[in-house]
Amino acid sequence: MTKETFLHDKHVQLGAKMVDFAGWHMPVQYTSIIEEHKTVRESVGLFDVSHMGEVFVSGKDSMEFLNKIVPQDISKLNYEKAVYCQLPNKNGGLIDDLIIYKLGINYWLVICNASRLDEDLNWMVRNKRGFDVKIDNLSHNYSLLAIQGPKAAELLAKMGLDTNQESFTIKPGKVAGIKVMASRTGYTGEDGFEILVENEYSEFLWDKILEEGVEFGIKPIGLGARDTLRLEAALHLYGNDLDECTTPIEAGLSWSIPKDKEADYNGKEVIMNQLQNGTDKKLVALKMLDRSIPRHEYEVYSNGEKVGVVTSGGVSPMLNANIALAYVKNDKNICTGSTVQVMIREKLHDAEVVKKPFIQKKNKIKN
Amino acid sequence: MNYTEKILCTRSHEYLLENSDQTYTIGLTDYAVEQLGDIVFLELPEVGAEYKKGESFAAIESVKAASEIYMPISGKIIEINDAVVDSPELLNEDNYEKGWLVKIESSAGDAEIADLMEYEDYKEQL
Repeated sequence: MTKETFLHDKHVQLGAKMVDFAGWHMPVQYTSIIEEHKTVRESVGLFDVSHMGEVFVSGKDSMEFLNKIVPQDISKLNYEKAVYCQLPNKNGGLIDDLIIYKLGINYWLVICNASRLDEDLNWMVRNKRGFDVKIDNLSHNYSLLAIQGPKAAELLAKMGLDTNQESFTIKPGKVAGIKVMASRTGYTGEDGFEILVENEYSEFLWDKILEEGVEFGIKPIGLGARDTLRLEAALHLYGNDLDECTTPIEAGLSWSIPKDKEADYNGKEVIMNQLQNGTDKKLVALKMLDRSIPRHEYEVYSNGEKVGVVTSGGVSPMLNANIALAYVKNDKNICTGSTVQVMIREKLHDAEVVKKPFIQKKNKIKN
Repeated sequence: MNYTEKILCTRSHEYLLENSDQTYTIGLTDYAVEQLGDIVFLELPEVGAEYKKGESFAAIESVKAASEIYMPISGKIIEINDAVVDSPELLNEDNYEKGWLVKIESSAGDAEIADLMEYEDYKEQL
């Protein structure tokens, strides 16, 4: 059975092209993927991301439990703060990437990818032995609306939200009189909020945001543009750029791994070893030097030798160029500025290795 | 011109239009363009290249997918639409006057044309 979010009928009414994604019937685009993408970069867009998972973790040992299953140091996560985490298996390969929020003493919210919710829950339950912890999957109780773009904060402030909060924090608030949890996070590289709301208010809120957003040029945004936006921001997509055979270090996520976390966690040995001694493969960002489009599973060559594979690729509307994330062998000669080739329809096309992200990200970081 | 009255269509969503000078124009049906969404890349063959019926002669990519385009009948490429190679989004605007793909000359007989459908029949079998 394909699942539907509480906003499903809104998407259909708006004329969205619908697809199956991770067992959910979701909008890919309402008008044009490129137009929707540009709207988020230039003004503001509204996404229904209710298919994602919301898991609440509580109990006396909840901090120690979370600390065991992610490499990030949860003991250092402060009240109302969020941290981007990975969920490694014993070999350091990834089961998912997540955001964890501290909502209170021994009370946490874990946001999971829709495509991995079952695996995440199964993994959490398997790892909870010995911990006094409660794991509550409340995904079916909540809708999640993402409002992203340079005008997102202004729009939500107009609707009553106190938007005086930093990136990677979550606060209770009200939007159009409805109680919500507002997280200043997103998957686009723009400033924005992800609003957690009880299902019964989701349709009202969706309509109200589109109505109040008219003056800002708001559009509803589908999964097609969600993917092009996150790729431009060089954000990983589980299933493409992250999987159970890829460690956070290989994926270029060393910046998120604390070097001095004392507590043990799944995969710690492999991850620490890779931090010390390097990896066999590494993630690079590629920009095509012609108009050809690199895509998932296309091969990457250097000096006539196959050196890797594209994991995510596509168009960058803002750069007017085509871009990719690819894993290549960890050769120091393949670095920013060097040229490699991507095999597309049996011909090699030149690409430049560039720095990530492809465009500047605009999150509001505390100074 | 009411194009839908004059074109023949393939099951793979190409259309064939006979021109007044007995050349043919080949393009993609409106259904194909609508299904593809934002078209971002087109690779067309060289003028002079010859292809058999059913052979892939061009590549088209939308944001989400890459596809090939097949000859409705055999023939030789005599003209390509450079404008649509430079600006693939033209095809999303109009698939006949702005977004035609190639012109060919062909000595294909009735046998090759036999399995092509008139627009209404093409739409019905979608």
